[in-house]
Amino acid sequence: MNWISNLFSRYGRNVHLITIAILSVVLTYGGYTIGDRHGDAPASLDDRQSLTDDPPPFNVNRLLADGLITVFYYPFHRIENSVADLIRVQEENREYHEALVEVSVRLSMLEEARLENDRLRDILGFDPPPTYTLLPAEVVSITGEIVPVSATINRGAEDSVFVNQPIINQDGLIGRVSTVMPHYATIQLLTDPANRVASRLVTSRDMGIAKYVVGEGLILDNFPVQAEVREGDRVVSSGLGGVYPAGLKVGAVRSVFREEEAVFTTVHLDPAVDFLRLDELFILRQGRQ
Amino acid sequence: MRIIPYILYLLLLGLFEVIGREAVGISGVTINLAAFMVMAVSLYKTETVAAWFGFACGLVLAAPTPELMGWHALVLSGLAFVAYNVKERLNLESLYSKLLWIFGGVLMHSTVSLLISGGESFLFRLISYGLSGAVYTTVLALLFFLFKEGVITVKKIRSIF
Repeated sequence: MNWISNLFSRYGRNVHLITIAILSVVLTYGGYTIGDRHGDAPASLDDRQSLTDDPPPFNVNRLLADGLITVFYYPFHRIENSVADLIRVQEENREYHEALVEVSVRLSMLEEARLENDRLRDILGFDPPPTYTLLPAEVVSITGEIVPVSATINRGAEDSVFVNQPIINQDGLIGRVSTVMPHYATIQLLTDPANRVASRLVTSRDMGIAKYVVGEGLILDNFPVQAEVREGDRVVSSGLGGVYPAGLKVGAVRSVFREEEAVFTTVHLDPAVDFLRLDELFILRQGRQ
Repeated sequence: MRIIPYILYLLLLGLFEVIGREAVGISGVTINLAAFMVMAVSLYKTETVAAWFGFACGLVLAAPTPELMGWHALVLSGLAFVAYNVKERLNLESLYSKLLWIFGGVLMHSTVSLLISGGESFLFRLISYGLSGAVYTTVLALLFFLFKEGVITVKKIRSIF
């Protein structure tokens, strides 16, 4: 082996260059010739059959290319495919998310429609007081700090809405119209401390004034001390005062407070209407259409 | 000879062929990274190292087309040999001479590669892709030399922003 080291030390550069040249030439011809029977087109069907039966020919270039691709190309192909997959999945995720939001909104609207349907079914069994007609309206906005005191509805002067017209829903009395605009109107709710309703007990027919007191809730004021009242008794409007017709549900007795030597009893009421959940309501208009 | 840096260069070539070629390509014109790397190695390393690196680059470059593997290995090792000897005989101290040398080498490689791969309209492809690719590669070489000679540094770039 001495001669090899001598050869390299003397003609190192030339040996390297000649080796490279020889390898290149071998690879140039190796790509076409070494056992490559597929290089020529098969002449007949029999030839083709024999080609498929034969084991694959040994090819230096293909073997080398296979190794090089595995080492220098394949890892980057994997990365590229992974990135492409990631982008595709991200895009799909975005599309699914959009679809989910859309479906969610649709579901929410359907749920809202179902609840509205239930409410309207309840309303169908509700009759207005005699000589009154109902004008349906929807609440546009509600104002009030702790409890709502006023609300805006989507009916106004154009719909023949006037100040002081009573507002009700299927549960009972809500309030009265306080301001009228061409297409909107403002309602003074029963929960407004400035609003008062002449009321009476359904059972004993004793009368008082229903009003909202901040901190106490809805009470029946000026209620005679000698009157009979029990928890759960229903309270309706008495019809006095000229704003609210008689018989509109105001609430039910929650508790009775009698002070000694007092002339009046304070009766606390549970309102018939849930003022935090106002939705559809009706304007009571006098006269049959 | 430390071999690991050259394997990393070959991996960089593989990365460029798989991902970078299309990413940096402008209307089909792209950088001839293999030729540029071979010429850069022949500029800073010995003749035999450059020739072997050219041979290896040729093998990696032609891996997807095994029948042309020998040709590409021969062309790139030949390019390394020619580039090294031209560098030895000419004064390549100035930046412009280096760029001209790179441009000539890349154009030569593109021309021979187009001849090897065959196909019609050789002249059209040479002018549209070979020449513009050589210009594109020279721009890359300009950035490379500016970084290498410290004209552009990361610190300077940061100071701009």
